Parts: sequence; C-alpha cells; structure tokens
Amino acid sequence: MEKTELRAVFEKKGRAVYISHLDLFRTMQRALKRSKLPVWYSQGFNPHIYLNFPLALSLGVSSSTEYMDFSVTEEVDLENVRKRLDAAMPDGLSILDIARPIYKNKDIGYAEYEICFESRGAGEKMLSGLDKMLAAETIEIDKRSKSKGTVKMDIRPYIDIKDKKVSEDTLTVSIRLPAGGDLNINSNVFTEVFSEISGIKFDSVCAKRTKILCKNGEKFI
Amino acid sequence: MLKEQIENILLKVRDPSRYIGGELNSVVKDKSKVDVRFAFCFPDSYDVGMSHLGMKILYSLKNKRENFWCERVFAPWEDMEKLMRENNIPLYALESLDPIREFDFIGFTVQYELCYTNILNMLDLAGLPVKAKDRTDDMPIVVAGGPCICDPEPLADFIDLFILGEGEEVNLELMDLYAEMKKQGCSKREFLSEAAKIEGIYIPSFYDVSYNEDGTVAAVLPNVPYAPKKIKKRIIKDLDSIYYPEEFVVPYCEIVHDRAVVEVLRGCIRGCRFCQAGFIYRPFREKSSETICRQTRSLCESTGYEEVSLSSLSTSDLSSIEQTLNMISEYTDKEKISLSLPSMRIDRFSNELMERLKAVRKSGLTFAPEAGTQRLRDVINKNITEDEIMRACKIAFEGGYTAVKLYFMLGLPTETDEDIVGIAELAENIVDLYYQTPNRPKGWHVSISISCATFVPKPFTPFEFEPQASFEEITRRQKLLLGSIRSKKRINVSWHNYKVSILEAILARGDRRLGEAIYEAWKLGCKFDSWDECYKYELWMKAFEKTGTDVDFYAHRKRSYDEVMPWQHLDHYISRDFLVREHKKAMNGERTPNCREKCSGCGVSKAIGGACFGKD
Repeated sequence: MEKTELRAVFEKKGRAVYISHLDLFRTMQRALKRSKLPVWYSQGFNPHIYLNFPLALSLGVSSSTEYMDFSVTEEVDLENVRKRLDAAMPDGLSILDIARPIYKNKDIGYAEYEICFESRGAGEKMLSGLDKMLAAETIEIDKRSKSKGTVKMDIRPYIDIKDKKVSEDTLTVSIRLPAGGDLNINSNVFTEVFSEISGIKFDSVCAKRTKILCKNGEKFI
Repeated sequence: MLKEQIENILLKVRDPSRYIGGELNSVVKDKSKVDVRFAFCFPDSYDVGMSHLGMKILYSLKNKRENFWCERVFAPWEDMEKLMRENNIPLYALESLDPIREFDFIGFTVQYELCYTNILNMLDLAGLPVKAKDRTDDMPIVVAGGPCICDPEPLADFIDLFILGEGEEVNLELMDLYAEMKKQGCSKREFLSEAAKIEGIYIPSFYDVSYNEDGTVAAVLPNVPYAPKKIKKRIIKDLDSIYYPEEFVVPYCEIVHDRAVVEVLRGCIRGCRFCQAGFIYRPFREKSSETICRQTRSLCESTGYEEVSLSSLSTSDLSSIEQTLNMISEYTDKEKISLSLPSMRIDRFSNELMERLKAVRKSGLTFAPEAGTQRLRDVINKNITEDEIMRACKIAFEGGYTAVKLYFMLGLPTETDEDIVGIAELAENIVDLYYQTPNRPKGWHVSISISCATFVPKPFTPFEFEPQASFEEITRRQKLLLGSIRSKKRINVSWHNYKVSILEAILARGDRRLGEAIYEAWKLGCKFDSWDECYKYELWMKAFEKTGTDVDFYAHRKRSYDEVMPWQHLDHYISRDFLVREHKKAMNGERTPNCREKCSGCGVSKAIGGACFGKD
C-alpha cells in the first residue's frame, strides 16, 4: 500500500508529563484513531497503527518539542492533519506542527533542557553549588549498561551549560546534553548528580525539553 | 490546592498517571456552579476500578446533570498511601483534586467481599471517622451499592445509606432529594429519614437486629415508623432505552479491561444454583441489535479504543446474537476494531462464533463446566453435557486452537471423590479428543489448564443454606485431583487460595456483628485483601479471635430452611420458597430448565408486573 510518512511535532505539559513512554504510545494510537485520519496500519495478523518516537522523554519531564512519526495512506493537507490530530489530543498534549521528516532517528545527537530548581531562599547557594560542581575536572556517575552492568562514567565533558538564571528561590539552568542512540544522558541524570554533589535538598525540580538537535547541530525535523 | 503537594510526591510512586486525573473524557466542572458533589469510590486500585462498567455508567449519568458533579476515587496503592500519609495529603478525587471529605456524598461500589477493609482505609485516608455513628453533620453522607449490598450487614457500622439493586434511577432521585434538602438546611438525620422513603434505599441505623440464643438472627425490625419493614431492590424495566454512556474516561496506564464495553443484556436465564449474579440481577432484559450497534460505534469513536467487548453475564444468550454480530462487524471490520465476547457458554459455541473470535486473536478458549460429572453438574443446574463440552472443544481444535482453559469449583454441595476424579477424566478425554482430531493444528501439542476455585455459598442462591467445605477437606480433594491426572505434561492444574475463599464465605453471609471484626482487621493492617501479595490471613484470624467471632458459625454451618437470614429484610424478589424448592431439587440431582424454556417461579416477575418472556 502507498504511504506517506509524516512527523508530528507536539508539546507535552501539565498532567500529561506523568504519561510514561509506553503509555504515550497507546495514547497516541487512540488519538489517531479518534482523528479519523487515513492512518497507515502495520501489516500482519494483528494490524496496528504504526508509530515511531525518534527520542523518548523521561517520566515527569515536560517538553515543547517532541516528535512522533506515523504514515497516511492518502494525500493530505498538512495543516488539516495538524488541526484534526490536535483536536483529538487529551489534556496536556498538543500538536504544534506536521512535517515531512528529513532526518532519521540515528541522526539525533543532542537535546536541550531548561531545568528549574527551587529551594526557598537558596537561589545563590544553588548557583555557587552548580559552579563548584562544574569547576571540577570530572563528574563521575554510575551508568547502567546492558552488557557490562553498572560502569563508572565521567559526564563532565558532555555537560554544556547554555544559560543560568538565579532568583531568590530558584535557579534555572539551560543545558545541552547528548541524546540519541550513541550516547544518551537524561536531564534526570544531571538533576540527580547536582543534588548529590551540592547536598542541596530541592523543594521541587521542573525539567522541560526545549530542543532536539542533530549531530551536525541542525534542528531535528 | 492539593495539586502542588501531590505533584511533589508523584515521581516517587509507580504509575503516577493513576493519581493525577486529566484523562480524556474525564469531566471537570466549576464547583461553584453545582449543587451536589459526589465522590464515586472504587475500593480497589485504579487499574481494577477503572475497568468496572457500573462505575462508568453512573459516572456519566450523574455528570449529564448540570447541577451534579461526580468524580472518581480509587484506593491508592501502598507506596502512594505511605507518601500521602507522610505529607498529610488526604484522599482526593481525580477530577478536581479536592479532598473528598468536602463532598456531599462519598459513594462506594462494593463488588466483592475482599474490599471491605479498603472501604475503611479510604474513609480514614479521607480524614473521616470510619464508623457512621462518629461522623457529624458537616461530613459527607457515605453510601454504598453493588452486588455485595445484597447482604450489607457486615458493613452496617460504616455506611450511612445502602442502595439496593440497579442504580440508574435511584441515584438521581437520591441526589435530587439531597439538593432540595440542602437548600433548606436540613440535618443529616432529616435527610436520611426522607431518603428512607425512596424505594431501594436502606438506612441501617433505622433497624435493630435481635439474636437468638444459638447466635442466629431472631429479627431485623425498623426502629422508626417511616422505615419500611422490607426494602425492595430497584430494577430498570426497559434496558433498551436506559441511559448508557457515549464516552468512557480513557486511562493512560494500562488497566485490567482496557477496551470499550457495551452491556448487551442484564440478568441471566440459566439459574446455576451456585451463582449469586444469576439470581440478584434478574429479570433477564436485553438490548436490541440497533441499540448495541449504536452504542458500540459511539463508544469506539469517542475513545479511540481498538477493541470492544459485548458484556453481560452470558452474552451467547442474547437472542439476537447472530444478527447483532453481523451488524457490528460491518463497522468493526472496516475500522479494524476487534470484537471480544466474554462469558460464552459451551453449549452455544459454534463455528461462526469462533470465526468471529479468531479474527481478533488466537489465544486460548475458556469454558466453565464447573463440575466434573454429569451428576454434579445437574446438582448445580449447570445445564451442560459432556457431549456439548466435547463438541465445543472439537470445533475449537479444528479451528486451530491448541489451548483450552476450564474452570471448576471444589467443595460444591454433595460433591464426592468420584466428582473430583471426573474433573481429571474430563480433561484427559479432551486431550484424547485433540489427538483424535485429524485436522488439528499440525506440529502442536494440546494444553489444558484446569483452574479450581473453592465454592463459596452466597445469599439469594439455593445454596445459601449450605456450609463451605473445610480447609482439610478441600486440601484432600486438591491432592486427589492432582493424583488423578495422568497427562501431566498436557494438563496443568491451579487453584485459588482456600484462605481467601474462607474469608469470602464468612463475610458473604455475615451479620452486623462482623463489623467489629472488619474494624479490628483493618486496625491490624489488613487492606487489599483480594491481592495475594497483600492478603494477611493470620491477621484476619487474629481479628476474629479478638472479637469473639466464631468462624465455623459463619462459614461451615448448615442453615435450616426456616432460619432468619441476616439479609431477610432485603427484598431481591427471589422468594425463600423458590430457594428452598431449588435446594431440594439440587439435593435430588434434578435440573431446572432455563427461564426461556419455562418459568421457574423465582418471584421476580412480580416486580415487572408479568411474565419475563413471551410478552412481545
């Protein structure tokens, strides 16, 4: 069957941040079903709506740019698809754009996050804690790997801080981390190691993914 | 607002999406614009409760009314409960995230006896006293309905008001009355006094129970003039036109029954003598093919579910089953929606039905012969013959199935060793049949699973007089069954935990005095009793001992035909005369034809003003 591949750009926020990756799969399949778009089904004994998420998002992290690939069996108007799919979305998920994919999953190299740490009255303390951590030559973490079990890994070279903003109670960090199949460091890894090294107990931590980038630094689409 | 506090703990618990609401089709209203707020509580985890059809129906029904807001509440799993208690987060409803102690009503649907301790725990987690007498006028009215409420006496200490029978009409009547009386500033007592006059409403505090010297109930009598001597259950007369949701709340995490469900009929024509549902949901009423199709379509479209189940106690008894399936599959085939038909009877299994099921998924088939010999199947009125079982299995094997699951009960009245050995023989015969079927699936062996429950005598069944078999006896019978299996590679036997079944037996036919034991068990730490990993038999036994409860009296005692049952004042339209008649026939191994063939005079036709069948 003829099919056209499409890539949806969507936002995940509010209560939707508690939808796990596996659950998001089902959620999107149902939304596509409700949208009545001419969606392509995987062939076989038990056909299902084909979906691909180029990069998973950790539970609890919001995002302004997530991607989801699916296919349609008819020529469609992209803006019309966006509208119909967006109308079928549950609370906290919205479709920002529908595009024809240019890059492949394996082209993904980085992701950027905005992480807001909150601790009453401790804005400056958090900032100096962060600077101290970053001044160290190495930042070692335990990384689980399928073949070797837990291994030590230095993540300092991979932490690329783009911006820091401090207020009385908060520290907001914009950060670029490696993402994709070769090396993936979740924002949670950074959050945990910061908490551990600085010894600060945060009242809350809010992380948001703001960009997904290719290895060549271009915006993934 | 609790939201922030909740969000701070959510990432520390398993499946957090269960605790934050916001699912598609969940109903959010402006609380300043509603008259009555109802917290609909399912006393089990989210994934179990969200699968329950009755809750979906009543949730949508109440929310259809502009001035009512019904929200969902489930029992938080242990990890969540611990964090809620540590952070002083009271039990809240999923739509508003408001504490349920601020609501007008807290309503529990009580589907099985093993959730009683969860009811207490949820009230406590809400910040309310668990006993009705300790709750003041500024606290919500606590109500309960569902199948266990046909003997609600063990819960009488904890609940203000019970709802008997089907809820679609009576729930709205109750909420309307409340809205009216709230405006007038009436007290809880005044409201309950008025509510007692609504058919189907039972206020336990308006009744006194007296006991005989031997511990049996002497009488249950009203202590106020406006409470009726007998409380009648509610019945929806026309199922075809009754409200049915056009949408379901679609959960994010996987739940037990994660699909669209269309209820196709209520009641059951079969009259299996062990089956409480078969009697308390009478009379038999069906929906038309058109209604079923319309409801299937609107539910699938509003949810995006890829599977729809036609649900009932016995879906193959739907008189228009073939026509309905033809009509529905026109839609479901086109939309790639799979169709599932639970609760199939062996004797209604046909090539055509199988083809429909196969189009969905080629998993195993499940049948429930319930007993191993014809004699015992006649005793329990499971009108199925060995020939019918064999015929169904043959169709299945020829159709490519290699796995069959069979449900049985151990400890049925009059059961002998011969009946136990009969279970093994039946399974062996099915194994032989498989290898004798020339066009069976090539290159595959057959796999038979035998699953044995322990028989639990239930109120409003002809076996309500019967004792439950003892632990020693059931253990002996289980061993006998295992020893009788020859094809150990092909036949696999499993059973339910007897220590769970005995608790069910005690609570199912309990009286008000059991309230103390339930309270004690909860105090000792019992909750989620239906979950193997949470069930604490020793603590329950300790609670019974501490409260002076004689386990044998409730579980293992034979009742006489004229004993006053603890639920005698509740009228489910199933007459005692009928139950005695059926019990006597059972003891003689005599069968009773199904309701379609011949009316057995159970008493329910009285409620609908004439015969259940043959009126059209």
